[in-house]
Formats: sequence, C-alpha cells, structure tokens
Amino acid sequence: MPPTHILNGIKVIDFSHYVAGPHCTRLLAQHGAEVIKIERLSGDPTRKLPVQKGGTSGCFVQHNLGKKSLSLDLEKPEAQGICHDLIKNADIVVENFTPGTMKRLNMDWETLQAINPKLIMCSVSCMGQTGPLATYPCFDYIGQAYSGIMGMTGDEGGFPALSGMAFGEISTGAHAYGAIVSALFHKLHGGGGQYLDISLLDCLFSYHAMNVQVYDASNGEMNPLRSGHQHPFIAPLAIYQCKGAYLIIIALGKQWTNLVKLIDREDMLDDPRFADPVSRNVNRAELTEAIEFWLDGFDDVDAALRSLGENHVPAAPVLSVSEVMSHPHMIERGIVQTITNKHFGDLKIPASPYRYSLFPEPLELEAGLLGEHNHEVLSEQLAYTTEQIQILEDSGVCSIKP
Amino acid sequence: MTQRMLEGFKVIDFTHVVAGPHCTKILAEHGAEVIKIEPLGGELARMLPMHREERSGYFIQHNVGKKTMAMDISTKEGQDICHGLIKQADVVVENFSPGVMKQHNLDWETLKEINPDLIMCSISCFGQTGPLSHLPGYDWIGQSYAGIIDLTGEAGRTPVFGEYAFGDVSTGAHAYGAIVTALMHRLRGGKGQYIDISLVEVLFSYHEMNVQVCTSSKGQMVAKRSGAHHGMLAPVGIYKCGERFVFLLGVNHQWAGLTKAMGREDMLKDPRFSDLIGMGQHKDEINAAVEEWLESVGDADKAVAILQEHGVPCAPILTIPEVIEHPHSKARGTVRTVNDAIFGEVQIPRTPLRFSEFPEPPDLRAGTLGQHNHEILREQLNYSEQQIANLETQGIIGSKNI
Repeated sequence: MPPTHILNGIKVIDFSHYVAGPHCTRLLAQHGAEVIKIERLSGDPTRKLPVQKGGTSGCFVQHNLGKKSLSLDLEKPEAQGICHDLIKNADIVVENFTPGTMKRLNMDWETLQAINPKLIMCSVSCMGQTGPLATYPCFDYIGQAYSGIMGMTGDEGGFPALSGMAFGEISTGAHAYGAIVSALFHKLHGGGGQYLDISLLDCLFSYHAMNVQVYDASNGEMNPLRSGHQHPFIAPLAIYQCKGAYLIIIALGKQWTNLVKLIDREDMLDDPRFADPVSRNVNRAELTEAIEFWLDGFDDVDAALRSLGENHVPAAPVLSVSEVMSHPHMIERGIVQTITNKHFGDLKIPASPYRYSLFPEPLELEAGLLGEHNHEVLSEQLAYTTEQIQILEDSGVCSIKP
Repeated sequence: MTQRMLEGFKVIDFTHVVAGPHCTKILAEHGAEVIKIEPLGGELARMLPMHREERSGYFIQHNVGKKTMAMDISTKEGQDICHGLIKQADVVVENFSPGVMKQHNLDWETLKEINPDLIMCSISCFGQTGPLSHLPGYDWIGQSYAGIIDLTGEAGRTPVFGEYAFGDVSTGAHAYGAIVTALMHRLRGGKGQYIDISLVEVLFSYHEMNVQVCTSSKGQMVAKRSGAHHGMLAPVGIYKCGERFVFLLGVNHQWAGLTKAMGREDMLKDPRFSDLIGMGQHKDEINAAVEEWLESVGDADKAVAILQEHGVPCAPILTIPEVIEHPHSKARGTVRTVNDAIFGEVQIPRTPLRFSEFPEPPDLRAGTLGQHNHEILREQLNYSEQQIANLETQGIIGSKNI
C-alpha cells in the first residue's frame, strides 16, 4: 500500500481518554500513524456524551477518528501482558491518567523503557507529573483557574467568566503532538527513546503572551486583572457596539494612524495623551467615545466592518458558532469537516488546522466501536488464536466484539 | 552538551508580534539556528511593554534564541540576501498578511525554485485563501471569527475576552508541530512543502463539542455564553467564597463527593438530581446549595482543601502574581528567567514541551535589532566588510540597540 501520510508505519499505543490525550492521538492518526486505543471495558467516558445517534457519541467520534479500539481490563495481568507485547513493537505510548495510575498498572516509563528502549512515551496531564498539585483530580477549567487564565477572563471587579470551549485540552493535545514528533525526529536522527511530560497547566500558562513579564518587570505596578471587554494595558483593543451588534477593533503600529484618519480624529496623532498603546489605554474613555461616535454613523455593523477592513484596521464581528459555520470564508476554506460515521451518520466537526501542500486532503478516518478491533489486533499483531481470544473474552480480560 | 533535537537545521524567520515568533522561538529552543529578519525600524513587538532603556520585555519573551538581522526587504539587495540565506536553509516561517511575501519575491513559488527541499510555513489570521484572507488580524480578531468571544461573558451582555493570547501562542505551537512533521517527511525521503496555518482554524478546532452538538441536534443545542456557570451542566462553574472565587465541578461520580463535602447527602437521593440532564434542568437549586455551603465555609483555601479531600475537582481562581508564587509553579519551574544584557532579568512562561533527554530549557537570549547583520552576511554569505558597509550606507541594512 503506498504511503498515505507522513507518519505511515509509526505505531502508537494510546491509553488516553476524554479530550486532551485523544486529541493528540487523533492528530497522530490524521498524519498517518497506526493508533491502537486501549479502553477500559466500559469504554472512554466520552462515549456517553451528547449527541448520541445509533448508539454512538458524536463527541467520541470527533476526538477518536482513525484509531483502532482495543478494550481490555487493565487491572488484570493478562491485559497488562497484551499491552506490553504491543508496546514492544510500538514507537509511541500516549496516556493521560492521573499521575501514578500507569505505575499501578505496570505501565510506567521505567517498566516500558525496559521493554522497548527506543520507545517514546508521552504523559499528558492537568498539572504535570511532579509538584504538589500533580495528583489532584482535574479538567480543563481546573487548569484554567490554576494558570491565571480564568482570573483574567470576565468583567472588572465582577465574577470571572467561563470560556465556552475546551481550548486548554485541545491545544495541550496539539502541544503533545509537536513534542512527540520532535522526539520521533530525534530518534530517526539516531537519538534514543524518551519520556515527555506535557501538562495542561504549562500550556495554559504559556498563553500569557504579556502578563507575566509585565507584572514582573514593572515590579508589580502593572498587575494584570480581568477587564471585561477592554484590554488591561493596550488600547484600542476592545469590543464595541454598533447598532446592537458587537465588534472588536484592534489598532497597533501603523494601524493606529489608519484608524484615527478613518474616524476623522487625526488631531490624536499629535496629542501626547495618545502617543503609544499604553498612554492610549490610560486615556481610553475619550478614545472609546470617539470610536463609538464614528460607529454610530453606520446603518449596520457590516458597513462599519467593511470600512475598517478597507482601511487596514483589524476588526471583526463577534460571531456565534453557527454563524462561523455558515460564513463564506469558512465554507471556502473547509473549516468544518463532515465525517460520515456508519453508526452515527453524518457529523460535522472542526477540520484539522494542519494544511500541507503535499497532503492537501485530510485522510478519511472512522472512529471505532468499543473493542471493534480486539480480534484484528490480537490475531494480526500478537498472533493470538481464536481460542485464546475466546478465553480472554470469557475471563473478562477483553470485551466481546460488538 | 547533548546535541538538541533540531541542531544543524536552519530557519529563516520573517515573523512579527506573537504567533509566528512563538513558532520560531520553539524551533530555536529545540536547537535550530533561527535567523530573524526584521524591518529597519524593528518589528511591532519591540514597541510593546514593558520597556527598559528602550528594550521591550515583550519582544524578549517571544524571540529568545534567534539571531537578528534588520534590512529593507523591498530592495533588490535585501531580497538577494534573503534568497542567499534561504538557499542554505531548511525552513522559512512568515506571518505577514497574505500577498506581502509575493510582493517581496519571497513567495512559495519563488522560494521552492531556489531551494526545492525547503519547508515554508505561512501563519496568518484567516489562512492564505478565502474572502477574508487579505484582512489584517490579531488573536482576538480570530477569536471573534471562530465563535469563541461570543461564548465568553454574561448572558445578554457585552461579551468579554480573555486578557491573554491563547490563539497566537497555540497557533505558533501548531505551526511548530506541522514544521517538524514536514521535516520528518523530508528525513524519510519526502520532498519539501508549503504549510498554511490559520489562527481562525486553530481556534475553531478548540470547540471540542459545540460544533457537532449544534449540527447533530439540528440546532436544538446551541452553546451560548453563560457567565460564571456552565450553560448545560451543573454544578460546573465559578462561585464566590469569602472575598475570593473558586471553580468547582461536581457532575458524574464527583457529585456524591460534593454532596458529602457539603453535608447534603439528601440531594443524592433527590430524583430531580438523578442524572446529568435533570441536574442541568435544576441548576439554580444546585448552584444555590453550593453557594450556601461555600458561604458557610467562608474561606476559599479551606473550601478547596475540603473539596479536594472529597475528590471534587476544584481550584481557587488565581491571579498572575499568585500563579508565579504558587509552590506548584516553583516546583515545576513554570516561570523562567531570561537574563537580558540591556533589560536585565525578565520572567516569562516556560515552553510547555518537556523531554526527559533535554530536561532543562536552554539558556537563550533575544537579539537587539540587526545584532547579527555582520556575522551572518560575512560568515554565511561571504560578504566583504566593504560590501556590508555599502549596504549600511544605502540604508538597506541597519541596527539599533533596542
């Protein structure tokens, strides 16, 4: 079979569940790797999440495209033996249990490294494998709270606000993917196997493109606090209203000149109170008034946006998810991918943001039913006979094929 | 010192502000030689706070480990230098608005003729194609177009945005993963290629649920911003405790732990709260019970300790200074200190990729504007001192101690 994508021939044993780990191994599968997902007998908990059709969860399908499903009771030594045998011939192991769980299951790095010295193992966790918070039960939002992300979201002085999607988990999966490919590259170049410790907390904290150094370098005088729909240090960088609709405007560098010309306030160019983004923020009340006065002259927000775009001032309408999905730009780019799942039917999910000129089309991938590939993997990869598989099923080591 | 994973690979970097520079910073941290080419006035990040002796901490954070050249790439001489460097390079990264690279004879069609093994990665807000592609963009512009800002804030009020650049930084991390994947393809005998990474697409991929739920339910389940509490599940949200805020999540098996922690085991038996859907429908009652209990505890640290004892995922909402000082951050080295020759010490978030073979992040510095002009022209392109002096006199290259 000709290679279909860059990671063809690379084998991944995947112990991950929920979102962060599965997103990482989905990216590996989308790049052509063979991913064998090992699930508990009850299945990855996302199999129960909405929307359900044909006994299949859309959420599970989204995060598990392209993986084979092997369902085992990892507490049993026989199941651990199967895993060890698979890992002997694998390139990569990914897991996102609470730190300590893999060791309890005889699947920690020391054990696996002895089985396969060239192995790359990536642990994805909320807080990392070390440190006082390592074993706390976690989800994306817990990491957001501990990384200072949640504290920086919401109205000034009011309640912090939740963000409506798991950007921590998905982007942590993407970071793990990048780290794994780096380690594979190192191995192909003659390096050894290694262990990767990727945490949601580290990833989220790295998103402070400004806050950490500003706080530190100002000796705490510039203390980053949530400021609602205005940036705490920089102006203009805010959400404005225009005829009942919301839009965001950001003007830095020469875009500031473009903006003041556009709103007919060139006097601001010579005004020392508006000399740079920080002083503009100190005097932002007057600036906001000038921008909203100008916006008020339009019949609708689209006209204002056209004018801003034509004059090279970055601006955007605040779109809902369904508006994004029907936007002509998103349609032309194929930002929404339709998956045809034989149980669920058609399912729309965000397309993968990786676009390569040599591999312009995404692979057509399917998400497995629980234990769908038990027989295939055990017989083809570990030479188990039908009788042996039957015994494993009878003793509850692996699930019955659906 | 062990050779780092990308040592020996050369990157020519035409990026500015955050998304592109973060990508090339990670390449530099993995050992690649990164030559950053800036306009004579310096890129925009050099104007962003904090400043000390005209040196920007913001610039330092996103540009450690790169050599810096400053030149006018609209001149033929400047373009000749770029072409000469690209001939010997492995990777080109840029994040101009689409079209700008072509205007300077640095587009993919031109560059692949010069170096057929080249990997070129363009990072942009909207991607290289589609009706919005020509528009200028920043992180929050992308967040608006990706349906993210619409989901953040109180219901029925102006949405808010997070005061951090998760789109830019994580788009840089996606681009990093794509580039290393393409490098690996080349190492295994494949060709060079072009990579098109869009901020909007990266951000849209963070909807781990919203897209499929919206379409699979035929528009019945549409995510909306819901302030401090989750729109569909309870209890999931931010609650006040004393003078501070706490995030907690008590669904599925954590619900039993939470009711016990609150001394409200009666709620476990209440048929209204018997499953996720019922709990979502009665979220006001549930949230009121949680608030009442937190008020009785009165101290956020105490409440978090009790909840964690009962296995309930929870977290105090930390501010940036609190994250920097947290024992877990200290234990993990989440905050790094860069020693800049002009600025002095500056604290930045550590890049979240942690490798067992390379446990310490390299001690890298950020260049001043045009710091390596002479070195690179002399050593990599064999320019004579006279030729270099001529370029300076003509204003094609320049340098400044910022």
